[in-house]
This record gives sequence, C-alpha cells and structure tokens, in this order.
Amino acid sequence: MERLTVLCFAGTYALALTGELARFAIRAPARWYATIGLTALAWVVQTAYLLNLGLTIGGLPVTTPFESLVALSWIVAAIGLYLMVQSPRTAVGTFVLPIVVVLAVLAGAAAPRQADWGDYGRGTTAFWFWGLVHGVFLLAGAVSACVAFAAGLMYLVQSNRLKHKRPSRLGFNLPSLEQSERLNRGAVTLAFPLLTFGLLIGVLLSVGLGGSSGVGAGGAALRWTDPKVVSTLLTWVVFAALLHARFRPAMRGRGVVVLTIVAFAFLAFTWVGVEALRLPTRHGASPSPSPTPTPTPTTPGTAGRGA
Amino acid sequence: MRLLALGVDYRSAPASVREALAFDGPKGPGGLDALAARFPGNEVVILSTCNRVELYLAGEPRIVPEAEALTEFLAEFHAIPSEQFSGHLVTYHDEGAIGHLFRVAASLESLVLGEGQILGQVREAFRASKQRGTAGPILHKVFENALRVGKKVREETGMDQGKLSVASVAVDVAREVFDTFADKTVLVIGAGKMGDLTLRHLKTLQPGTILVTNRSREKAEAAAARWGGQAVAFEDLNHALVEADVVVSTTAADEPVVDYDQYVRVQRARRNRLALILDIAIPRDFDPRIGELDRVMLYNVDDLRAQAEENRRHRQKRVDPALVIIEQETAVCFAALRHQRYAGAVLRQLGDQTDAVRQRELDALYAACPDLTPQQRLAISHMAQRLQNQFLHHPRAALRSAAAEAPHAHPHPLLNAVRHLFGLADI
Repeated sequence: MERLTVLCFAGTYALALTGELARFAIRAPARWYATIGLTALAWVVQTAYLLNLGLTIGGLPVTTPFESLVALSWIVAAIGLYLMVQSPRTAVGTFVLPIVVVLAVLAGAAAPRQADWGDYGRGTTAFWFWGLVHGVFLLAGAVSACVAFAAGLMYLVQSNRLKHKRPSRLGFNLPSLEQSERLNRGAVTLAFPLLTFGLLIGVLLSVGLGGSSGVGAGGAALRWTDPKVVSTLLTWVVFAALLHARFRPAMRGRGVVVLTIVAFAFLAFTWVGVEALRLPTRHGASPSPSPTPTPTPTTPGTAGRGA
Repeated sequence: MRLLALGVDYRSAPASVREALAFDGPKGPGGLDALAARFPGNEVVILSTCNRVELYLAGEPRIVPEAEALTEFLAEFHAIPSEQFSGHLVTYHDEGAIGHLFRVAASLESLVLGEGQILGQVREAFRASKQRGTAGPILHKVFENALRVGKKVREETGMDQGKLSVASVAVDVAREVFDTFADKTVLVIGAGKMGDLTLRHLKTLQPGTILVTNRSREKAEAAAARWGGQAVAFEDLNHALVEADVVVSTTAADEPVVDYDQYVRVQRARRNRLALILDIAIPRDFDPRIGELDRVMLYNVDDLRAQAEENRRHRQKRVDPALVIIEQETAVCFAALRHQRYAGAVLRQLGDQTDAVRQRELDALYAACPDLTPQQRLAISHMAQRLQNQFLHHPRAALRSAAAEAPHAHPHPLLNAVRHLFGLADI
C-alpha cells in the first residue's frame, strides 16, 4: 500500500516531467500551467502523505532510507517548484524534476510492506533523538548535494553550448553560467558541514551503541570493512576534496562541477546503491535479539529503525 | 458590418511615398479627427510607423467608404496628387483586414521578422484612437484581439527569440555568461565604429566600470568620455585585462594584440574568474586558442554573425506556425464580431418592437379614458415601462449570454428562437 501511494505521486511527478520536456515542442502557456499544476498536485499529495507518516510514527519521517528518500524528494520538489514558478522561461525543471522522480521511485522501491509497520518501534530515549538529528543533518546535506548536482549539470550544458557557439535552443533557456556556478558553490559549501556533522553523530551514536569490535554494534554491529561504512568514508573524502576544489581558483568551473557530479554519484551509491546491489552490509539491520528496536545509525538516510 | 484597411508599407511603396503619407506628430490626431468628420459614423484607427501607413475603418456596410474615397481623402489631407501614391495603396476587406492587422501585430509583415516594436506601435495607434473617440466596438474588439494575437504568436512560436544584429547577439551572449553587471568591468580595446555600436548595446546592461584603451591616448580618452568610462594607457593592457570581465576588442592591428601565453598569465592573475571576450576585430585581436581556456568564452565577429544568421533562419521557420495561429484567430474574431453584431441587432429589434407595442396600448388606453389626469397617465406609463422591462429581463440576459459565448459559424439557436417567438423581422 505504501509503495502504491509513493508510486502515485512519483507518477504525477513523472507526468510533470513530461510536461516540462514538452517545452521543446510546445510553447503555449498552457504547457507551463500544466507542468506547474502537476508538480504542485504531486507535492501537495506528498505533503499530506509525509504528515500522515509523521503522525503514524510520532516524529519526523527521516529515520529510515524509505522516509529519508520521501522527505528528500519532497524538499527537492519544493525547491524545483519554487524555481519553476520564479523563472518560467528557464528550463530548471528539466534538471530538477528527473532528480525528484528518481528519488520518489527509489522511495517506492524502499517502501515497507504494510505488515512491516508493526516492527517500527521508536527506540528509546537519547539514542532515538540523536538518531533523528543524524537523519535530519544527512537529509539537509543530501538536499544541498542535489541542488549542487542540478546546478552543476546546468552549468555544464550552458558552458558546452557557449563554447560551441550554439544559440540557445527555443524553449530551453538556462540560467547564466555565473548564476549556476553561484548556486553550485553555495550548495557545495553547505553540503559538506551538514554531511560531516550528520555522519559524525552517526559514528558517535554507533560507537555509543556498540562494543569495541566495530563502528556500530548492539543489534546491528558494523565493521570498518562493511560496504556501507567504506562507501560513506569515500563519500566524505570526495566531498572534502570538492570543498577544497571549490576554493581553488584553478579548479573553478568545469573542475568543480565534474567533482560535484562524482560526489553526488558517491552519495547516491552510499544511500541506496549498497542495498540495491545487495552488498553484505549490516547497516540498518533490525536488532533482532533485542525486544525493543533501537537505532543503529551510521550512514546517510538511516538513523535507527530497521527498514 | 464592414471593415476596411487601406495603406502602404515598405513592400508596396518607397520611403518617399510613405513619408508623404505619414501621420506623424500633430498629423496623427488631426488625421483621426479629419477622417471621422469626413466619414461620419465610421470607426477609425490610423497606424503610422516608419514602415507603414494604414487606415482602418469599420461600421455599417452602407457608411464605410470605398477605397477611392479614402484615396481622395489622403490626397487632400496631405496635399499631394493622388497619382503619386494611389498605385502603391493596398486594400483589405472584412476578414482580410483583420488577418492583415493580426499579421502586422505579430510582426510577420515587419521589415525585421519578429521585431518587438510593432506591437507597441499598434497599441499606441489604438490608444490614440480611443483618446480621440474614433474607435468604436468593432475596432475595439479587432485591435484588442490583434494585441493579444501578437503576444500569443511571439509566446507560442518564439518568433521574437534570438537577436539579429551582431551587437545585440553580443549582449545576449553576455547575459548567458553573467547574471549581474553592476559589479562587472567592461574593457574596450580600440575605438572603432563596431566597438562603439557594441558598447552602446552593452551599456544597456549597466556595467559597473567601463575601461577604454587604445594605442592613441587621445582616442581612448575621447571614447571614455563618450561612454562615461576611464581611459587606460595601452601599455597597461594586461592590468586592464585582469580587471575586465567583458572585453570588446576592435583594433585595426594586423597581428593579434593578445597571445595565448599572455592571456593564460592574465587569467591566472584573475584567479580564473569567468571572462567573456568579444573579439570583433578583423583580423582578430585575440589568439583563438584563448577560447579553449575553460573559464573564457571567446566570440569573434564570425561567431556572432553566425548566431544572428541562425536566429534569422529560426524566425523564418516560425512563420508557418504563426500563420496557422493567425488564420484560426482571424476566423474566430470575425465570427465573434458577426455573432455580436447579430445578437445586438436582435436585442435592438426586441426593444424597438416591445416599445412600439407598449406605446400603442398606452395610446389606446388614453383614448378610451380621456379623463385621466397627466399624473395618472405618467403613473400608468411608468407601470407599463416597468412591466415591459421585467418581462424582457430574462430574455435579454439570455441573449447577452448567448452573444458572449464562443462564436459559431451560424448564429446561436437562441437568437433565432427569440426572433421566432417575438415575431421579429429578418435581419
């Protein structure tokens, strides 16, 4: 049922994306109104869904990969909707809506079955709270990374067009290079501390939960060799390199943008790739021996409950 | 209802004829007044621009003048023999006149296809006519629609997209590279005519600083004074390049003024900030390899010309889709006009007929009751009027609503039903 609901608004976002892509062929204002209307409709439905989810679990819905993906797609959709309304002539939606659709589809794939909800306990006391903080920071970092990624893509397309001296295609106006770059730089600068803080809380929380044998223990002990831990560390290193590059004049422009895309790919892999490829990770596994579920956070998008 | 458009444009008449027939300055309102006085009962709009002079008249078929009468008017008003221009006049009637105005507003009839000025000129002509009280309901509807269609064609076909001159393409490119210009520095190297023209366009972006450099210090200072910039010694070119975000180069030098290695050093000193170089000199002032640097957008005059040409081709391609829109809108507008005129005529007939019936019955009553005082007669007359109004209120409202509906090829069935029910004569 959850999957069906999530795929419903994912489908509406996909329809909005179709409307956005139709800008290449249809220039009538009706196309813009249809695109904005569909995006707004999907967003409103998703808002109601997230509210309901929050009420059901009794907190912010950012504590499992599924919830984080729904929340992430919701925030990115809100940003996209704002930009599309602000600049109707600019093809921002062409870059933002695919991200929203992919995130919503991934959320649908990660959605728990109705029967699984019974396992969703809130954990206990401080661990649950810090797990939530961990999830919120990682979510905010991921939003920044998505914005940086979209702005970077727009920069690359615009830069490529200008380098090849091609006039802007009808209906496909992009923000200026300076604007895309500014957005990319701002988002990268914001993403790094947010991700770092979120990961740090996750690690400390796991160390607090677990024994000395690994990053996290308790019900779902994580070893340093766990694929999720390795990819998380690599992601952090790439983001650190990206932040360094952002302040180096020689790396300005294409260099930073390419690194942004690489960093985004690492983040996406860490978030959903490990599970999607069924790599042997203990991250997010239910603490089976314990009668009360407790948070086992360490990586983006997961802060506690087993999913 | 009849509509007539008569005039000359850049295709049908040479500039001398257009100038002679122009309604510029005080001739504009004077021409409107004179036309309205000469052809009373007609609605009149005069569209006079440097590329066209057109008169639009509308009204009942019997009062709208023929083209000959208008030719005579033009000859008298401008005090020129009609033989000088009558051969250049072009006339459009009814639906053709509407279609022509729509094409004009959509800039399909303009010298520069897709130019934006004509829509403002059509709006201004209509406004002037409204001010003089010479535009009535027919031309009101036609011109309101023309303004809407002009906008719609531009929006839906992108007819106005992309500039057609080298200087304005340069401004477009600058806007695609930079977001704000108040914090940017524009450097002009050389003081040629092309540089002047490009800088005039770039000035519309309101750059923060303008630097001008030239081998001749006097020329640089003169150009800087002209553009409100600062003159820079040619020896300080590298420093100026470091400062500059947009460079316009137009020297007449035989060799490149800036070579690759030199600009690599400049770009390093600029901390690799974005740069736009518009090298519009022939031969080129900047080594073309400079354009390979990641953060440098180098456009030479051929690049800008090629974009302008591409834009021109693009606009040409949008003509057919624009014509389809105009054809549809013309048919709808003409049908709506006819529909509204017909509905108006039915409403008038209905009012006239019921007025006549009321008056006949009042006369009969007064004849049968000669003792009625004037106050009693007045009270009865008011009562009859109120009765008539109340009986006709709903039929009139329904007719007005039918008239406001989307136009059909045939009159709305309700109009014919009312005519039939009230026994109104054929229109």
